[in-house]
Amino acid sequence: MTKKHSVLLKEEKCEGCTNCVKGCPTKAIRVHQGKAWIKEDLCIDCAECIRACEYHAKYTKTDQLDQIMESSEYPVLLIPPSFYSQFSAGIPAQKIKKSIINLGFEAVFDVADAAAALSRKTLDFLNNNSGNYISTSCPVIVRLIKLQYPDLIEMLIPLKSPVELIAERVERKLKEEKNIDPDIFFLTPCPAKLTTVKRAIGQNKSFLTGAIGVENIYQKIYESLADIELEEKEDQLISLATIWGSEGGEEGILRSWQELNTLSVSGIKKAKKLLNEIERNNIPEAIRYFEITSCVDGCIGGVLNVINPFQAQFNLEERIKKIRQITQEHNLVLKKEDDEFYNFALSQKITADNISKLDSNFKKAMQKLEQLQKEIDILPGLDCAACGAPDCKTFAEDVINERASRTDCIFMLRKQLSRLADDLSILANELPPVMASKKEEADDS
Amino acid sequence: MSLQKQQILNKEIESFDFQSGGEASSDLKNILRKLGVPSAIVRKTAIITYELEMNVVIHSLGGEITALISEDELEIRVDDSGPGIEDLDKAFTAGFSTASDEIREMGFGAGMGLVNVKRYADQIDVKSSKDDGTHVKVIINLAN
Ligand code: SF4
Ligand code: SF4
Repeated sequence: MTKKHSVLLKEEKCEGCTNCVKGCPTKAIRVHQGKAWIKEDLCIDCAECIRACEYHAKYTKTDQLDQIMESSEYPVLLIPPSFYSQFSAGIPAQKIKKSIINLGFEAVFDVADAAAALSRKTLDFLNNNSGNYISTSCPVIVRLIKLQYPDLIEMLIPLKSPVELIAERVERKLKEEKNIDPDIFFLTPCPAKLTTVKRAIGQNKSFLTGAIGVENIYQKIYESLADIELEEKEDQLISLATIWGSEGGEEGILRSWQELNTLSVSGIKKAKKLLNEIERNNIPEAIRYFEITSCVDGCIGGVLNVINPFQAQFNLEERIKKIRQITQEHNLVLKKEDDEFYNFALSQKITADNISKLDSNFKKAMQKLEQLQKEIDILPGLDCAACGAPDCKTFAEDVINERASRTDCIFMLRKQLSRLADDLSILANELPPVMASKKEEADDS
Repeated sequence: MSLQKQQILNKEIESFDFQSGGEASSDLKNILRKLGVPSAIVRKTAIITYELEMNVVIHSLGGEITALISEDELEIRVDDSGPGIEDLDKAFTAGFSTASDEIREMGFGAGMGLVNVKRYADQIDVKSSKDDGTHVKVIINLAN
């Protein structure tokens, strides 16, 4: 069975501390019998639990390099903009790419090229459609909206993410030019992008074969850099759209072309706050486009990256400066002929994951709601998480759905014990019938 | 005739309590999701409830919000204890607001409150008087 998410638990490392339980934005984690279990349907791969776990019990299993090389005949790798933040700007992009080729990949492609094309398409879309839109490039945000803000699905801009765009193009190109059927891998900064390989967003199927985590190959690349010689003029520049790797990159490009009201927000907590405000119409309608990323600072904050986000931010900015210096261009070009080779439209509608329903029958749902309210009223409301659920309300829901028992709450257990103790003492004080009758006789006399 | 409605929410709202303003609307949203109410209606309700809630926070001396539901109707009641709306017709005019400058600076009181509520509600009934505060009753149809 393929999992619906990519963040997993190393059982032997989990101490059952509940640190992760409280921080999960979708309340997907419960600690049972000392281990943290993730509920498949609820996990959106934001990796907050990986960040929260002091015992490193949560992890992401991406593809392994040696496996890829063993099993694939023609592996190619797609490099995200954020990957360049992992190296100082002094290291030519071409060197980094060559070193990836040396690992055994047949070819590498920059996702930034598709990001540039997507930016142009986005501007075009916004100019030709009314309404307010949300970027679909961070899969965590899309899944969060599907799950918790289904009424905002229509705000998701119906365009493919840069990774899928370039993957589709590479597949077609290699087929047409060389009659090759490549295996396309993505060098991923996060578990969420790995999940999209299995569960594509707004598409029947992803164009990716797999994904390999940055942390998996970083060391190898880094060590080999020194030995790589570049021939003259070989240092092809990467796109200015590499700025997509950090928060504000996407909106910055749009605004460099046209006066446009946009807003960028990063970090899952802030993202949820923003979505709440959008949902209740408490955000100026003048804001046409929202760039929202789950990771703080954008993809450079992805949990599979190696370099700390502060240094990464610096590296990326330096690299952009350099590209600007060399090309003598401050902004990304607004027109490019080859954009027409991309197939931007999503082939399927993005649909809601309606799993918060108590029951599909209204009357039954109402009964359960009442039950739930009663259960909540009984509980102490301390949200201590000792029961393994993030808070009392969530625990109450687990109880009425028979996924937990009331005495998993230590306060309820204590109450029950004290009641039991009372019963015991009453029982103990009750005299055996023989003696009791004697006593009665004595009283009578 | 609609079926008997059951109460699903009752919450006090305090005057000038901007911190918790919006809580009732979030709570109601979550409850409706649990009941499987279609998302477009949940959205409408969230917008309406938030506006009404903030009206109480900004313009009144405090009040309460109650939500009742049956299979075909959702009823939201907001009752506050004054000072009442002087001119109801005006309150339903876009851009009209009695919010103080201070509150406007915070980004509230753009005068869309009741206008917005009316836009999304299927029925709205407002009673207001100086002595008795403001009482809003909104109906949202659930059955198509
Ligand atoms: S990855 Fe995010 S959504 Fe999934 S269990 Fe961890 S914290 Fe929750
Ligand atoms: S912000 Fe980027 S790195 Fe983080 S989860 Fe979203 S796509 Fe992945």
